[in-house]
Amino acid sequence: MTTAAPPIRTHTPTEWVRRSLFKNWWSGLITVVLVPLILYFGYRAFRFVFVTGQWEAVQVNLTLFMQGTFPRDEQWRLIAQVLLFALAFGVGAGTRGAAVRDAAEDAGLPFERENLLATLRRMWSLVAFIAVLLVIASLDDVGGFINPFLVVLGAAIVAYIGTQARRLPRSLRNVGWLVTVTLLVAGFQVVSGFDAGGWVPLGIVFGIAAYSIAPVDRLEASWLRVALRIVAALVVALIIRFIYSAVDTTGIGWDVWSGLHLTLMVSAIAIVLSFPLGLLLALARRSTLPALRWMATTYIELIRGVPLITLLFMGQFIFGFVVPANIDLSDITKAIAAMTLFTAAYVAEIVRGGLQSLPGGQTEAGQALGLAPPAIMRRIVLPQALRAVIPAMVGQFISLFKDSSLLAIIAILDFLRVRNIVHAQEAFRGVGIAETLVFVAVGYWAFAFAMSRESQRLERRLKVSR
Amino acid sequence: MTTEQNPQVFSDATKAKGDAVIELRGVDKFFGDFQALYDVNMNVGRTEVIVVIGPSGSGKSTLIRCINRLEKHDNGAIRVDGIELTEDIRNIQEIRKETGMVFQSFNLFPHLTVIDNITLAPRQVRHAPKDQAESEAMKLLERVGIPEQARKYPGQLSGGQQQRVAIARSLAMKPKVMLFDEPTSALDPEMIKEVLDVMVELAKGGMTMIVVTHEMGFARAVADRVVFMSDGRIVEVGTPEHFFTNPQEERTKLFLSQIL
Repeated sequence: MTTAAPPIRTHTPTEWVRRSLFKNWWSGLITVVLVPLILYFGYRAFRFVFVTGQWEAVQVNLTLFMQGTFPRDEQWRLIAQVLLFALAFGVGAGTRGAAVRDAAEDAGLPFERENLLATLRRMWSLVAFIAVLLVIASLDDVGGFINPFLVVLGAAIVAYIGTQARRLPRSLRNVGWLVTVTLLVAGFQVVSGFDAGGWVPLGIVFGIAAYSIAPVDRLEASWLRVALRIVAALVVALIIRFIYSAVDTTGIGWDVWSGLHLTLMVSAIAIVLSFPLGLLLALARRSTLPALRWMATTYIELIRGVPLITLLFMGQFIFGFVVPANIDLSDITKAIAAMTLFTAAYVAEIVRGGLQSLPGGQTEAGQALGLAPPAIMRRIVLPQALRAVIPAMVGQFISLFKDSSLLAIIAILDFLRVRNIVHAQEAFRGVGIAETLVFVAVGYWAFAFAMSRESQRLERRLKVSR
Repeated sequence: MTTEQNPQVFSDATKAKGDAVIELRGVDKFFGDFQALYDVNMNVGRTEVIVVIGPSGSGKSTLIRCINRLEKHDNGAIRVDGIELTEDIRNIQEIRKETGMVFQSFNLFPHLTVIDNITLAPRQVRHAPKDQAESEAMKLLERVGIPEQARKYPGQLSGGQQQRVAIARSLAMKPKVMLFDEPTSALDPEMIKEVLDVMVELAKGGMTMIVVTHEMGFARAVADRVVFMSDGRIVEVGTPEHFFTNPQEERTKLFLSQIL
């Protein structure tokens, strides 16, 4: 006997309406009240966007919203940055996809590569925002938002080429990651330029890479292994430094960054810095050394008890006192430091929650195998604890991203504050105030929503692999 | 100390065959005010298989967890392969390297594949090269009967398979002693045998083992000596024949009448 397939339930539209909208008397009542309201507000919103809205304030100042007062004749740097980041995104996605595919193949599980359409749908809020930007830019050319179509098209092509990194053989996986990080740093430095310390980020990354792949496993003495690894790391870092000294170092420092560009960069920098700091704080808070534990706890509780606005204001004064007098910190540097220190305290608490959620048997199993405490932490505890807290962590980073709008109150020209300049213009004094607000809100939402979706996806995928 | 000393048990317990790999002398263990172990004395000889039985809460698990310092004993001395267990972290590490442990709840690392679970300790602790560690891991997986699962994650395996991976993971460190803490208690009945079979093979291969279990069949078939514990004390020790057919102590008789 063949087993019958489960019946597929089909509904006629009438049936669907009855089942979902008029199931009983109160659902009918809710429908009768809500539908006209929704239709009315939908109509008003439609009219606002397409008929009554005075979008010239956005249209004319689109470049201002994007890059603020960034020098116009240096705009090529921003375009180069977009292209380099797009390439980094592509290479990273391709490498990551290949790694997932390898793991699935090894485990004998089916693997299907995500197609382009699914990727775009996954990030639909960003795609929609870019589309809105292109539409606005195309309405007329007063904005001087140079060839935005070409930039978007170029970024898409470059990103697609980057994803071909998935075709690299397995042995080159780590090279893929290294290239990704290098492109990210290059993308940053093509705008920022670099002075004497510019080699440090890549020096650290390549140094760590050299340290971890140094072929010293077969050596007997452990001090010799460590020593050779350190030598390898230092040599590689010095090579990076040498290469940097041969390259043009001029750039546009972040003192004059502004607009959406500033908002995105400040958020990204604060996220990248606050994560390791928060991690260290969480570990310190669980340390067996009382002094370390006490300091971490005090720091976390102090920071969490103070509003971010207060910290931003205080940062403008305090950081000037703690660094040597000959170092002149810019307002933006101080603001990034304040946001990093603020977020790190929250990240620390989130990570601590993850550490506590791990069953004690995991640590015990590591101990029973003779693993040293640092190895247990690095190989067993942290990978699992951090996975468990991805949603909370991304939530914190989304908060950080949105809170970057507070930079406006310490006179930094971020995405939101560009509005002040716009409405100080003769043509837009008191004109299009709601429109510019809506535009900025949509911009924030597009990025925040994309981050949220990515975190959900990450969560799902990690759950699958265990 | 108010422990009631039973000289009969003491002399039995120290009668190990061959030289002792594990020695416990007057071991006490407290959890706060509660005393979990009272003056435990035991010698385990090389290649000897000891099965520890007793009602729950009798200190069986605590006993073997003291041997690799997952619990710290409060009085007495513990020596493993001639190394005395002290506060010194290096001593503890040395003993843990020589001592494999298998847990009731497997405690595999869920974020690592089976083969990575097995090679983690050899690579981190013994600094074995990757290819060598993996080929040895594959041999161990063949020994426990599941080489085809090497690249899967623990969550994709049955309980019995997971516990066999856990045994392979311990063996990868080439321990001199294996401790089993109720290895089959969390398993569905149909999976118990596959794990016990692996343990029987291991015993036949000359591994020194201390097994806390409720599997009386295993005790009968494999144990050199059976240790009965109750209320933190070793009550009776004997060969399986002697222990199951002619127990001396009232508490042993009562326990056996309840479970057999």
